[in-house]
Amino acid sequence: MKKTAFSHVRTPKTLLKKSLVALVLFFLGALAAYFLPLLVPASGASAWVHHPLLPIFVMTLIFVVAHKAIERLIKKLLEKYFFHKKTYAQMTLMDLAGDLAVNLDLQEIANLVVNTFGEVLHLKTVALLVPDPLQNNFEVASAYGWRISASKKIRLAVDTPLLKMIHQTGPHILMRGPVLQSLSWQEANALACDLDALQAGWVIPLFVKGELEGILAFGALVPDTVFDQSDFHFFREFAAVIGPCLHNALVVKRLRQLNFELQDSQSQWVQKTKLNAIEKLAAGIAHEIHNPLAIISGKAQVLLMQKGPKQLEPNVQEALNTIVKQTRRAADITRKLLLYSQGSRGPQEWVSLEKVLDETLALLAYQASLDKIEITRNLDPELPRYHANIQEIREIFLNLLLNAVEAVGSEGKIVVEMKYLREEGLLEITCSDTGKGIPADHLDKVFNPFYTTRHEAVGLGLFVTQQITHRYGGSIRVESQVGIGSLFTLQLPCSPETARSGEAEKRVVEGVSGRGGQ
Amino acid sequence: MIKKLLIVDDEAEICEFLKSFFEDRDFKVATAHNGIAALEQVERFQPDVVLLDIQMPGMDGLQTLKKMKDTHPKLKVIMVTAVETQEKIEEAMRLGADNYITKPLSLEYLEKDVQDKIDSLAKIS
Repeated sequence: MKKTAFSHVRTPKTLLKKSLVALVLFFLGALAAYFLPLLVPASGASAWVHHPLLPIFVMTLIFVVAHKAIERLIKKLLEKYFFHKKTYAQMTLMDLAGDLAVNLDLQEIANLVVNTFGEVLHLKTVALLVPDPLQNNFEVASAYGWRISASKKIRLAVDTPLLKMIHQTGPHILMRGPVLQSLSWQEANALACDLDALQAGWVIPLFVKGELEGILAFGALVPDTVFDQSDFHFFREFAAVIGPCLHNALVVKRLRQLNFELQDSQSQWVQKTKLNAIEKLAAGIAHEIHNPLAIISGKAQVLLMQKGPKQLEPNVQEALNTIVKQTRRAADITRKLLLYSQGSRGPQEWVSLEKVLDETLALLAYQASLDKIEITRNLDPELPRYHANIQEIREIFLNLLLNAVEAVGSEGKIVVEMKYLREEGLLEITCSDTGKGIPADHLDKVFNPFYTTRHEAVGLGLFVTQQITHRYGGSIRVESQVGIGSLFTLQLPCSPETARSGEAEKRVVEGVSGRGGQ
Repeated sequence: MIKKLLIVDDEAEICEFLKSFFEDRDFKVATAHNGIAALEQVERFQPDVVLLDIQMPGMDGLQTLKKMKDTHPKLKVIMVTAVETQEKIEEAMRLGADNYITKPLSLEYLEKDVQDKIDSLAKIS
């Protein structure tokens, strides 16, 4: 009698019959063992038949032989009255197919299919493969009975024997045995390799409008399990229902991917266009505005630095100083915008950070009143030189320090530290102040362009500092407590290519870094 | 020794205040508003130091710089720029400019720099 996959797990009429036959045989045997001695004369060579232990022996023997069948019978009888029916399995799967039709998430669909299929049919393994258009192959979307790591490794290129076979045979279910037998041994070997990789006894191709959208491969728990025609008919129906679901989910997935790529390239383009526009605008403004600013500031400076007996009134002197300071501030806007939009295109050189810091401090003293502010430098004695654009490094120090000076106000402390973290390959610059601090809800905004708490500031300083830091592959963060102060920590990657401790370049560096300035 | 300075800028006002500032400091100052006039002044006035604006209509500062350095390699030229485009600054340095300074100008720094250039010329001669 043929045993089917559904029958050995569901309630099979065939098995029920088989078990009943076994039970009947058992009783017949027992009867025979009991009545045999009565039919045979109790004399001569047949005297052993009348031995009193014989019926017990025969019955024990029959019981041992038939116990499996009896056990199965009891089990099947129980199963029969507890919902295990072949139609139940089919209904479960068709219900699943209905659920899938409203689902558009590929992963969810794949998980539902393999898990339900595997559990309802009591299969050993199930794998659902879907096409990956980028790699031009099929990959496992979800697997049942597999180790995840093993299933992830499976990839079927579009020209593997199995896929060629599927394209030849179309939407028919491939059965390992018959298919292999129908091929030459070389072809069979190659195909068996693919099937082994999938641990598959059967393969259901999922075609939608002539396109192969998925492959459902499964292997049974019991090696000799076979399916009958009605099973295959059901599989085909099942495949016809889940195929389109899979197709839709794949389309949605591709659309999402394309949409994401589109957004990504769009935002990149917008960013680039924005930067180009800012650069053009800033360059134009700088030219048009810096000249009048130079005249305003220049004339004020001429008056301030006048030689001779004339001494300016203190209020006039103060007004002139303000004019000079404010024109510089106005010019700073365009200069910073330009620096930001141009990117890291300036000349790079071996920069002595200590020297740049000192220059910046000198410049700062010229710009702000530092009389009651205590500024401490805390430098690593083995600070390497850093390969960078000196303007940009100057900009970093200037903005950090200006920010600290502004936070501190008229009186307080600022500590600048520079450390070379050799093992991490990082250069760490920290700037802490005893200023007014930044409220927690403003901390994430301090690096935004045009964010400022000062009515006379532009709000580009920390933004530009962050941009420069990012350009060098570094990071900048801020910690702050209102009323206590703020700490800015800036880390720049410092590999042997970007850092040098030797004195060899000193001559070159000093030759260059003396140039420039305001 | 007479310190001679040539100021080249298409903005007359800039030339004017720089002129009064440096004359106040015992410089002899000449001005020019474009590249061609600047080259003529170099021949006629024989300055020690030139303050040269990069952005000018017609012959721009970089072209003027090149011609000046071709004929007078010892002439000290300080570039003045409204826009710090790194390419232009690099180009100017490559052409032999001795320094660059950005607008708005810090006269304190400019005075020091011009004096440095004069001192270095004095050392050579």
